[in-house]
Amino acid sequence: MTRSDRADPPTSRMVVAILSMVGFFVAFYLMAYSLGWMGSLICGISSCETVQQSSYSKIGPVPVAAIGAAGYVVLLVLAVLGLQPARRASRAIGGLLLAGAALGVAFSAYLTWLEVGVIHAWCIWCATSATIITLIFLATLPEVGRIRGRREAP
Amino acid sequence: MSSRGEKRRAERDGAASTGSGASPMRKFYWALGLVAVVGVAVVGYAVGSKRLGRVATQPVNVPGLDDMTTLVKKAQGVTMGKPGAPATIAEFGDFMCPACRDFDLTVKPELIRQFVETGKAKYIWYDFPLVSIHPNSFVAARAARCAEDQGKFWQYQNVVYRNQARWDELKSPVAELLSYGDSVGADPGKFARCVRSDAHAGLVSAEMRLATDLGLNGTPTIMVSAGSGSMPRKLEQIDFASIKAELDSLLDSIPVKAGGGR
Repeated sequence: MTRSDRADPPTSRMVVAILSMVGFFVAFYLMAYSLGWMGSLICGISSCETVQQSSYSKIGPVPVAAIGAAGYVVLLVLAVLGLQPARRASRAIGGLLLAGAALGVAFSAYLTWLEVGVIHAWCIWCATSATIITLIFLATLPEVGRIRGRREAP
Repeated sequence: MSSRGEKRRAERDGAASTGSGASPMRKFYWALGLVAVVGVAVVGYAVGSKRLGRVATQPVNVPGLDDMTTLVKKAQGVTMGKPGAPATIAEFGDFMCPACRDFDLTVKPELIRQFVETGKAKYIWYDFPLVSIHPNSFVAARAARCAEDQGKFWQYQNVVYRNQARWDELKSPVAELLSYGDSVGADPGKFARCVRSDAHAGLVSAEMRLATDLGLNGTPTIMVSAGSGSMPRKLEQIDFASIKAELDSLLDSIPVKAGGGR
């Protein structure tokens, strides 16, 4: 058994996996609306339908929510893989998780800017997703240390 | 003896280390599974509770249609061409009717080229689905009006007619009709929400009532009129030459105004 096999599973990756699962369901809900699987969104005080029916809710024929759902699935798979004994010290998975989460935060920041500055409406589910991806990004920060530690190890 | 003790200790340490790794992972998988189950339940309920009602496939009761003014107001056909064109060609059609298909794919394009595009006439489509013999025609008519919401009626009508043999005998033609929305560039989500609902059921039903009140009993029925206030005339012959002759005659009968226009 190697050292990495015996290491405790990184809690941060567990957090990333669980948050990614939650984020997937949020994005899937918005995607279901975008694809016409249901008539309206449960939205509370925000203006989800204004946001979701705007021209910015799609990139070409692809709903933005579908891109989000796919992104969360990728992060979930990476985090679960990174929890397997043989991959707990994997630099590649650490790097991919960090890069994926950073990309997600940047994309989410762009969408939030569109809501505030261009569409002039906000959507509680989009805000929830933005919060989740930010938390995921914060949870991936220990990967920096993991990558550096591995590099410095003899 | 001592070597056997060391071996036992090593086994115990191994078990402990395996245990320390397995236990948090087991808890993690339980937590992930719990989130998945709750997520499926919550999103499933949220989608299900806002799911659109049954797709309207049959005419609906529209109050007030006994009054002709209300009926004409509600039975708004789809118009192509200049609203002020001197002549009007009205078609009462059924998307499942093979004769309508042939008319719309052969005669209509020539009428449009020679009369609508030249500003001599406008073309109005009215839905008259013969639901007793064509069970899918009502939903097809609604789908076409959903396409009209996005300014794609005529393109959609063309695709639906061209593919008539593919959907007319299906038990549920909705998926097929939705795919034609994609082919004409309709927004898929908006189009699907419209088709998977009862949207435009009242409009199509009102046009069916208009057709019945006009005494029509078959499709396609072509009516022409010219000038303001003239009574539309139902044509018995609907080949291009006959309709052209009728329209030319009607246009010639309109008095020329002092300004030179009809």
